[in-house]
Amino acid sequence: MKPIQQMEPLSPTAFERLRNNNIIQAWLVLILTLFFGSSLAGVQMTLGPKIEENKLNETLEKIPELILGAEGAQKLAESGGKLDVTPLSFVVDKPGKKAVYNVYEALDKDKKRLGWVVKTGGQGYADRIELLLGVDPEVKTVSGIFVLEQKETPGLGNKIVTDEWRGQFKGKNTEKSLGVVKGGKAGAGDINAITGATISSRSVTDIVNTAVADLKGPLTAKAEGGK
Amino acid sequence: MADQPTAAERFIQGILPENPVFRQILGLCPTLAVTNGLKAAITMSAAVMFVLFCANVMISLIRNLLKPHLRIVIFTLTIATFVTIADRFLAAYVYQMSKVLGPYIPLIIVNCIIICRCEVCASKQGVVAAGADAIGQSLGFCLALSSIAIVREILGTGKIFDIRVLPAVWPDWVIMVLPPGAFLTFGLLLGLVNWYSARSQQTAGGK
Amino acid sequence: MLSYLIDIFLIGVSAAIINNFVLYYFVGICPFVGVSRKISTAFGMGCAVIFVIAIAAVLSWTITAYILMPGAPLSAYVAGMFMPAEAAAGIDLTILSYIVYIFAIASSVQFVEMYVRKFFPPLYKALGVYLPLITTNCAILFACLVIMSKITGVDNPADAWDLGRALTLAVGGGIGFTIAIVIMAGIREELNLCDVPKPFQGVAIALITAGILSLGFMGFTGVDSGLRKAMMPKPEVVAQAQPATEAGK
Repeated sequence: MKPIQQMEPLSPTAFERLRNNNIIQAWLVLILTLFFGSSLAGVQMTLGPKIEENKLNETLEKIPELILGAEGAQKLAESGGKLDVTPLSFVVDKPGKKAVYNVYEALDKDKKRLGWVVKTGGQGYADRIELLLGVDPEVKTVSGIFVLEQKETPGLGNKIVTDEWRGQFKGKNTEKSLGVVKGGKAGAGDINAITGATISSRSVTDIVNTAVADLKGPLTAKAEGGK
Repeated sequence: MADQPTAAERFIQGILPENPVFRQILGLCPTLAVTNGLKAAITMSAAVMFVLFCANVMISLIRNLLKPHLRIVIFTLTIATFVTIADRFLAAYVYQMSKVLGPYIPLIIVNCIIICRCEVCASKQGVVAAGADAIGQSLGFCLALSSIAIVREILGTGKIFDIRVLPAVWPDWVIMVLPPGAFLTFGLLLGLVNWYSARSQQTAGGK
Repeated sequence: MLSYLIDIFLIGVSAAIINNFVLYYFVGICPFVGVSRKISTAFGMGCAVIFVIAIAAVLSWTITAYILMPGAPLSAYVAGMFMPAEAAAGIDLTILSYIVYIFAIASSVQFVEMYVRKFFPPLYKALGVYLPLITTNCAILFACLVIMSKITGVDNPADAWDLGRALTLAVGGGIGFTIAIVIMAGIREELNLCDVPKPFQGVAIALITAGILSLGFMGFTGVDSGLRKAMMPKPEVVAQAQPATEAGK
C-alpha cells in the first residue's frame, strides 16, 4: 500500500481554499453513505423476515420428532397434520439469578396437550452446548433430546449428536436425576457415557437434569391450571 | 502511465502465478478457519467472489473521483456494505451453512485480498479489467481453499461431501479437522508450491 | 458478586489461553506471521493490539447496546419522535453493525497511532507500516463480533453481556494474541540459525511451527469447564420450594 503522503505547510491564503476543499471532497463519501445505507435498508426489509423465519424453523421443525418420536413424526407428516405449537417463557428463581426458559407447548388438533419442548443449554467440555428437551405433559418422562449447538471434540464428544446416544434419553423417568455410568452398564435411571468423552456425556445429562428440576413445578402447575 | 496488464492477463495471473493465498500470502484467516470441510470452503469462496467482484466494479466506476486521503475510507465503506449484503443473503438462503461459517463471513471485510485488489487494480483500471481481476483472484482463492479443504477433509474424516472416499479401515486423523491440522496442511502445501515454482523458474532460467 | 468475578475470570482465561484467538480461532494470522521475527517488535505489536482491541470493544459494546440492537434505548427514543411508540420500540439497526464496527476500529487505531508516535517513538519507527495495518487485524473485528453475538444473539435478555464481560473478552483476547506472537517470535529467532530447506523458508516453516504450537495449546481444552465446576457454588438439582412465576409471551 502507498504510504500516507505528508501535507506541505500552507500559506494563510491557501487555508480558505483547503477548508472549502475538505467539505467538497467529502461529498463522495456522503453520497456513497446514503446510497449504501438505502440499499442496506432494502436488503433488511426483503431478507429480514426470511432470516427470522429460518431461526424459528430451526427449533419448530424438531418439535414433532421430540414429542412423538421419529415414527410418530413421520406419520404426522404423511397424514399432512401439524402440531399446534405455542412458545412460552418461564422465569425460575435460583440462588443468585433468575433463569429464563423458553418452552414450547405442543397441542394436537384437538387441543390436547401432547408435551413440552424446552430450549436449554449449559457448559460442555469445550464450549457451550444448546439443546432441545422434550417431556410428556406431566413432566414424568423424557421424550427425547436434540442437540442444537455444540463444539465438542470431533470423533469423541461430537457423538452426543448421534441418534443412538441421544436415543438413550427416550422414556427415561424424571423422578430422580439421571446418572452417567461408564462401561456400558447403565440401568433404567442412568445414561451410558461415550467412551473417551465422559465429560461431554455428563454435561448433557446435567443440562437435562437441571432443566427438569427447574421446570417440573411450573409446568405441572400450568398443566393443571390451564386446563 | 506504464502499460497496465490487460483484463485477460489480470484474469490468468490471479489463478496461479499471483495466487492470493499461496503466492501473495494474503487472506490467511479464512484459509485456515473454514477449510475443515469442502462445502464450507466453496461457500466462503463464493462469498468472497461476490464481494470482490462488486467492490472492484464499484471502485472502478468511481475511480476518477477518488481523493488520495479519502480512498481507504471509501474502500472500507464499499467492502463493508457488500459483505453485509452477502452475509444476509447466506443467512436467508443457506441458514445452516451460514451458522457453520459464523463470524468468518463478516471477517471478509478485513480480508487483505480485497483491499489489496481495490488498491492495486480497481482504482487504476477500467471496469472490464477490474472485473476480470476480481474473478481471477477469486478463482485462485477458491483453488487454494479447496486444495487445503480436500486434504483436511479426506484425511480427517475419510469423506468428501458425505461420500466415503477412503476405506473404512482408515483411522480418521481427527487432528486434521482441528486447528493444528489447518496450520500443518497449509504450511506443507505452501512449501510444496514454493518448491514447484522455484523449480519451474530454474528450468525456465536454465533454458 | 463472587460469581460475577468468577465469570469474568473464566472469560478472560478462556480468551487468552484456552480458546486462544490466534491458535484456535485463526484470527490475527497476518500480523502473527508477518511481525513475529523479533521478540521486541512482536511484544510491541502485541501491546498495541491490546490497546486497540480494548478501545474498540468498549466503543462497539456501547454502540451496540444503546443504538444498534433491536429496541435499543437511544434509537427508540429518536425514532419515537417520528413513529408511534410501538413501532419505535422494535427498531433494529443491526444491519449497520459491520460498517459501524470497522469505522470504530479505524478510529481506535488512529488514536493509538497518535499515542504511540508521541510516547514511544522507537516503537513507532520499528512497527512502521504495520501500525495502521492493525485496522485489518481480524482479531479486533472478531472480538467486536463476539460481543455483538453475546448481546443480540441470546434468547434471554438477562444473559446479555455487560461492559465488564465484553472488556474482559477483548483484553483477554489481546493478551492471548501477545502470548502467541511472542512465543512465535522466540521460536523464529532460533529458526534463523537452523538449516531450513529452501521451499519452507519464511512463511511455510512459521506455519508448521504454529501448528505444533496449536497442538500444545490444545492441551488446555476443558480447563475452563473444570475450573467453572470447581469454582461455582454447587447447583441444587432438587426441585425448588419457591413457586416460579410464568412470564407472558
